[in-house]
Amino acid sequence: MNGPHDLGGMHGLGAIPIEENEPVFHSEWEAKVFAMSFATFSTFFPVDETRHAAEQIPASEYLSSSYYERWLAALELLLAKHDWLTTAEIEARMAQLRQTEE
Amino acid sequence: MTIKTSNRCMTAAAAKALLQEGLSCQADSDCTPQFQVGDLVRAKVMHPKTYTRLPRYVRGKVGTVMHDHGGYVFPDTVGERLSTKPQHVYSVRFSAQALWGEAAPASDALYLDLFDDHLEVP
Repeated sequence: MNGPHDLGGMHGLGAIPIEENEPVFHSEWEAKVFAMSFATFSTFFPVDETRHAAEQIPASEYLSSSYYERWLAALELLLAKHDWLTTAEIEARMAQLRQTEE
Repeated sequence: MTIKTSNRCMTAAAAKALLQEGLSCQADSDCTPQFQVGDLVRAKVMHPKTYTRLPRYVRGKVGTVMHDHGGYVFPDTVGERLSTKPQHVYSVRFSAQALWGEAAPASDALYLDLFDDHLEVP
């Protein structure tokens, strides 16, 4: 797939920021996304299918998403594709969590 | 869709082992290599709408097989859950000038791990 992930040779994307003492995760939600995705590797989804799922994020969204935002989008896509969860169920749960926070 | 997964929850012990040891994608069975170390190979020109590990900038370019890594499952078909299609993976050397033109430094080169199905005789 000629998707937005295949950046080799592209111009205009700016320098790669290199952080000093870069932490493994920048916030707690990233660690949770990693754990959820990791738990599905090979048990629920072959890893290559996970990579392919990330590439199917719409190009403009892909390029403006952070690394773990892409992981989350890929996981949601595969959960819906293989009928483990529907997008509506994910949305409903998000709305519920938002209300709890308020 | 022919590749099935166990759909069983990963245990904590299995997760720890996976973190420490990684996931092996080596093929279970022997498969015959299509190329030998030293061969010139051309990356195929293809634009599949499905999953592929063959980057766009290398398609149509000629490189040299530097090392044979052995047999591995083929990500391009595993990513679609079609088949494991085991085949050999090689480290292929492309000169920077072959990829980016004569403005690229003459001594620079890029080594890409590519599969039999990505390559053809030039």
